[in-house]
Amino acid sequence: MPRLSDTMESGTIVRWNVKEGDAVKSGMVVADIETDKATMEMPVFDDGRIVKLLVPAGQQVKVGTQIAIILEDGESEDGAAKSPAAAQTSPQSFPQSSQSASGNAFVSATSSTRGAKSNEPINARTQEILESDDARVRVSPVARRIAEQEQVDLASLTGSGPGGRIIKRDVLNALENRGATPAAQSTDTQRAGSISSSAQGASSTSHVASSSSLAVPVTPTLRAGGLVVAGLQSTEVAVSSMRQVIAKRLVESKTTIPHYQVSMKFELDRLMALREQLNSELAAMGIKLSVNDFIVRGCALSMAKHPYVNASWGGEKILMHQQVNVGVAVALDEEKGGGLLVAVIRDVDRKSLRAISSETKALSEKARTRGLSMEEMSESTFTVSNLGMFGVEHFTAIINPPNSAILACGAALKQPVVRDDQLTIGYEMTATLSLDHRVIDGAMAARWLNTLKGLLENPAALLV
Amino acid sequence: MSATQELEFRDAIRDAMSEEMRRDKRVMLMGEEVAEYNGAYKVSRGMLDEFGPRRIIDTPISESGFAGMAIGAAMLGLRPVVEFMSWSFSLVAADPILNNAPKMLFMSGGQFGCPIVFRGNDGAGGQLGSTHSWSVEGLFSNVPGIKIVIPSTPADAKGLMKTAIRDDDPVFFLESERLLGMKGEVPVGEDVLVKFGQACVRREGTDCTIASWGRPVHFCMEAAEALAKEGIFCEVLDLRTIRPLDIGAIERSVRKTSNLVIVDQSWSFGSPGSEVAAQIHQRCFDDLDNHVHRVHTEDVPAPYAFNLEQEYLPNTRKICEAVRSATYNA
Repeated sequence: MPRLSDTMESGTIVRWNVKEGDAVKSGMVVADIETDKATMEMPVFDDGRIVKLLVPAGQQVKVGTQIAIILEDGESEDGAAKSPAAAQTSPQSFPQSSQSASGNAFVSATSSTRGAKSNEPINARTQEILESDDARVRVSPVARRIAEQEQVDLASLTGSGPGGRIIKRDVLNALENRGATPAAQSTDTQRAGSISSSAQGASSTSHVASSSSLAVPVTPTLRAGGLVVAGLQSTEVAVSSMRQVIAKRLVESKTTIPHYQVSMKFELDRLMALREQLNSELAAMGIKLSVNDFIVRGCALSMAKHPYVNASWGGEKILMHQQVNVGVAVALDEEKGGGLLVAVIRDVDRKSLRAISSETKALSEKARTRGLSMEEMSESTFTVSNLGMFGVEHFTAIINPPNSAILACGAALKQPVVRDDQLTIGYEMTATLSLDHRVIDGAMAARWLNTLKGLLENPAALLV
Repeated sequence: MSATQELEFRDAIRDAMSEEMRRDKRVMLMGEEVAEYNGAYKVSRGMLDEFGPRRIIDTPISESGFAGMAIGAAMLGLRPVVEFMSWSFSLVAADPILNNAPKMLFMSGGQFGCPIVFRGNDGAGGQLGSTHSWSVEGLFSNVPGIKIVIPSTPADAKGLMKTAIRDDDPVFFLESERLLGMKGEVPVGEDVLVKFGQACVRREGTDCTIASWGRPVHFCMEAAEALAKEGIFCEVLDLRTIRPLDIGAIERSVRKTSNLVIVDQSWSFGSPGSEVAAQIHQRCFDDLDNHVHRVHTEDVPAPYAFNLEQEYLPNTRKICEAVRSATYNA
C-alpha cells in the first residue's frame, strides 16, 4: 500500500483492475485506492504477471502493507513467497505530496519480491535497471564515436551485434541511407573498414558483410529533411523543456487517439445576465465570476448523466473516473516564451461557482508566475480550453491524455439569432468537443452537449 | 639496394653468431652439443672449426650450472651466447636466468651489466611431448630486465640475433624448431641489424588487425589469405620482440581497422597476448568495434599425439574463426 499523500496512514483498495494471473505492463493502472483525501489510480512500474492479490477490494490496510505480488520474466515464486517480512518493516514513503499523484505510486510488493532491502528502495531499483537487458543501448566504442561525429541518432538504430549492440557497420549504414558519406571515404574503402584514407592495400572486391551498395560510391545528395535549404535565413530558437513536453504529448495524443469533433452553439443571454447580477452583488466580497467558470461547472455537472465523457481509454477496458477534475488551459505570456499549462481543479461537481472561480484565478496566476506543481497539473478527467477572450469564434483542441474529451470554447458574441421564429440579437457561443472515439460515440457526445446546453442556457441549475 | 641470399633459418642464426664473433673477440657460444656435434639442431654447424674450443664450448647437461657460469662471465666482460637445447630446459636454470641476469644491473647499482644472449627452441609442434614443448614467453615476459625476441623469418633471425649480441642487456632469443629449416631471403652485410621494439607489417588490410610473433605469424598469414577470399581483409603485424613491445604499431593499425585479434602460442592466462589486449583496450578504447579477441594454445599440457598437438596450437582455423567473430561475420 503506497503512501500517496503526506498524511496518509492507510488506504482502501476500492477496486482491483487486475486479477491473479493477469499480465501487467509498466504504467498500467492496477487498482483504485481510496486515501484520506481522494480516490487515486495506482499504476505499476514493472512488466510482469500478477501472481497474487493479497488484499481484497474493500479492505483498508496500513500504508506499507504488501498488497500484491508481481513476478517478472524468469523470476520464481519461491523467492517471492519468502520475503513478505521485508515489506512490513518500513513502508515506502514518497518524497512529498506533490509527487503523490498517480504518476509515482508503487506497488510496494515489487521491491520486496526481489529480496531487495525495502529500506533502500533506490538501490534495489538501480540494481534492477543495471541488470535488465533492455535498460541501455549497447554501442561499440567506435560506433558511438562515429555516431557522435556524424550526428547519427543512436536511438534510431537497431544493432546487429550481440545483444543488440550497435556496431560500426550499423552506423555507417545509417549514414549511407541518410544520403551523405562520411568525409574521407573513397570507392576503394570497404564497408566495415577505415575512416582514414590509407586503404591502398585493400582491393575493392565486395565485402561479404550485410550491407548492400558497397563498391558504388555514394555521393552526397540534397535531401529535403534535415538539410538547410540555401537562401532561407532563419535564426534558431532553443526549445524550452516545457515546449518539448508539449510537443511530445500532443504528438502522442494526436497520433494515438482517434479524434473527432462535435460542435454546438449555446445561447448565453441568460447566463451573461446572471453573471452580471452576481458580480455586481458580490463585488464587495472581491468575487468576479468569468463566463468560463460557469462553463467549467456546467461541464462537471453534465458528467453525472454521461459518465463516459469522464472516462479514459485503458487498453482493453474503459476507466470510469469517480471524480470530476476539470483541467483549465492556461496560456503563458509570450514574452516569457509562451507555452501552455493545464491547471486542474478537483471535484468540480462538488464545488461552488465561487470556489471554482477563485481557484481558477489563483492557479492561473501561479501558472504564469511561478509555475504549477505536479499535483496541480495532474489527474484531470476532462479539459476546457477557452480562446473567447481573444475573440475567437470557433476552434478545435487536442485531447489532453488520458482524458477522452476536451471542450474548446469560443467567444460569447452578439449575433443575429432566431428566437421564436423572429430574427433578433443574442449572445451566442460556439463550443467544440474533441473526443476519443474509442470511448465516446457521436451520439453520446451530442447528448452530453445537450445536457451542457440545458445547464448553460438555464443557468440557475448551475447555482443550486 | 643491398643484395640478399637465400638462407635457411638455422644458417641465418649461425651467420649472425659467426659474424659477431669475428667482429668482437669477447663473443663466445656455449651449450649442450654446440661444438663437436655441430649443434643438436645443427644451428652451430662449422663454428667449432672456425673458432676453436675456447670459444665454442660443449657443456655438461647442467643448465643451471652453465647458465650461471655464463652470467658470471658476462658480468666480468665476456659476451656469451648460451644455447638451451630447448627452452623447456631453461626451467632448470630458472634461478640464474630470472633472478640474476635481469637484476644484476639493478642490484649492483650499475656496476655489473649482463650482456648475455640465451637462445634455443621454443614452442610446440614437433611431437616432443608436454615437457619439451614450452612457450616460455608466457612465463618470462612478466620479468622486468629481460629482452624477449621471437623472429619468424630467416632475415629477422639474423638481424635480431646481431642486435641481441650487441645489446648490453640479457636477451632471451626464442627460436622455433619447426622453422629452422625455413628458407628465406636474407640481406647480405655485416651491419644489417633489425632493431628491437619495431614491429613489421607483413600484410596490409582494413578490416581486422592480427598481431602475433614467432611461428604463429605464418598461421596468421594463411588465415589472412583465406579470409580475403571471404571479403575480410586482415592486416598482419609481426611484433618480433615482446620486450620491448611495439604497442604503437598495434595502436596505429587498430585505429585503422577497429578490430584486433592476437595470436599467441603461450597459454592464455597472464600471457603476452593478455598484456597486449589490456594495453590496447586502454589505448584504443574508443576505436574498437569489438573487444580484443585472443587465440592461444589450448589451456592443457602439450599433447604428444600428432592430431591432438595440431588442434592444441593456435592454428589457422582458429584464427579465422576469431577474425570472423571479431568482425561480426561469424
